[in-house]
Amino acid sequence: MTITDTLSKNRSELEIKLRNLLLKPVFLIEMDVFALPCGCKGATINTRGLQYDDLEIFEEHIKEYLKKTSEYLEIEPSFLFARLVPGTAEIASLNSRILCNRCYMDFARGTGKKPRPDIYILNFIRREEK
Amino acid sequence: MKLYVPHVGHLEGLEELLTSSNDIYGIYMAGTPDYVGTGRTNLSAPGLEEIAEQTIYAHEKGVKMEIVLNSSCMGGQHLTPEGYNRINWYFNQLNKIGIDSITVAEPYFVEMLAKDYDMEVVVSVLSFVDSPQKAEFYEELGADTIVIDPVINRDFDKLEAIRDAVSCDLKLLVNEGCLYQCPFRYAHFNFFSHANGPGPKLNVLDDYYYYKCLSLRINDPQQLIKSPWIRPEDLREYKHITDIFKIGGRTHFPNWILNNVQAYSSESYDGNLMDLLDCPKDLKDLFYIPNKELEGAIFQWKQCRKVCNKCGYCKKLAEKIIKVYSTEGCENVLRPLKEEGGQ
Repeated sequence: MTITDTLSKNRSELEIKLRNLLLKPVFLIEMDVFALPCGCKGATINTRGLQYDDLEIFEEHIKEYLKKTSEYLEIEPSFLFARLVPGTAEIASLNSRILCNRCYMDFARGTGKKPRPDIYILNFIRREEK
Repeated sequence: MKLYVPHVGHLEGLEELLTSSNDIYGIYMAGTPDYVGTGRTNLSAPGLEEIAEQTIYAHEKGVKMEIVLNSSCMGGQHLTPEGYNRINWYFNQLNKIGIDSITVAEPYFVEMLAKDYDMEVVVSVLSFVDSPQKAEFYEELGADTIVIDPVINRDFDKLEAIRDAVSCDLKLLVNEGCLYQCPFRYAHFNFFSHANGPGPKLNVLDDYYYYKCLSLRINDPQQLIKSPWIRPEDLREYKHITDIFKIGGRTHFPNWILNNVQAYSSESYDGNLMDLLDCPKDLKDLFYIPNKELEGAIFQWKQCRKVCNKCGYCKKLAEKIIKVYSTEGCENVLRPLKEEGGQ
């Protein structure tokens, strides 16, 4: 299967799971995989119609779905998060990211779920200190 | 029927439009945002030379050229001596080029253009003319044409009152899919006007209004039906108001624009109504609204009192006809709205 076929399949499967869970036609408008110059890499799933309340109530389900999707895309699900539109009910995207060492430190410093107003952490696996 | 059609702004796009259809009366496009911005996003910012070249081409084809400078918020720049001089210079250049009309939302520009220039002055939808009183006001300022706020596209008492109140031309925007009585309307267009106007440029993270616009419809799809679009088949119901219609969609491919031209000029479309709507274009891959199944709804809307919580017509219609795209394997399939938890 090509990378685009894999993305297409996983986009639609995750969309179906979310619709069945939330009983509304949540729309996954785009799924991308990326590699950044800093060394971070991962996947971004842009969402429409998914809201903060959905995440609060079904956090465990959504985290599990995102974890599975991430694994299918062969992205270690060590850092899963939702990007919020700050101050609103809207969720802009679901994300799985393998952090580079520098970006890892930005997130490892804090302990809460919202290190920034626009980020809601679903899963963050801390690395062993050397 | 006089059909005004959007154009993305480059000569190649214009050639494609005008060689593919003989049903286009006029085309419109944005100018450069360095002087006056626009209230919507654009794919290009043609300079004066490009506007001149395209105006000549349009005129050779017998088509009118309209430039849209419908910023809904100038931040007061036009009231400063420097701002006035800069904008006045730009209007002067457009006048020399020989464009046929210019669309503005700012009342100051309506008066300024009517007083000093030969170009026809068109009052934008972003002036929100939704009453005979406002229409009279703009006509007195010098408007040659008023594009009526689509919020009253299904309020025939008001449309007829406006028609009776003024003698200038009226134009109806047929395919704006904005939310009916959208709470974000002014804020969103003001945001666009700054984002697509003379600086300072904004460093915006997310278009909050657009996210909300989509989210509201996904969570409550009856909003798709309530939006005051006009079906191609229903144009005939408006002929006593005007015969000038405008298709919205400056950010679409010529192919999409031409599909709209065909639908509205033939007053018929057999397909997904979402294909025709300018916005929210992202949702055309989510919802399917069979246009032909909307036949007759206009007669309900013509006598509708717009008290949705007591009426429920649009809600029931949405439940009955809207389908949702879903994926099964590699296939896109359509499912009834209720199966997807839509209502």
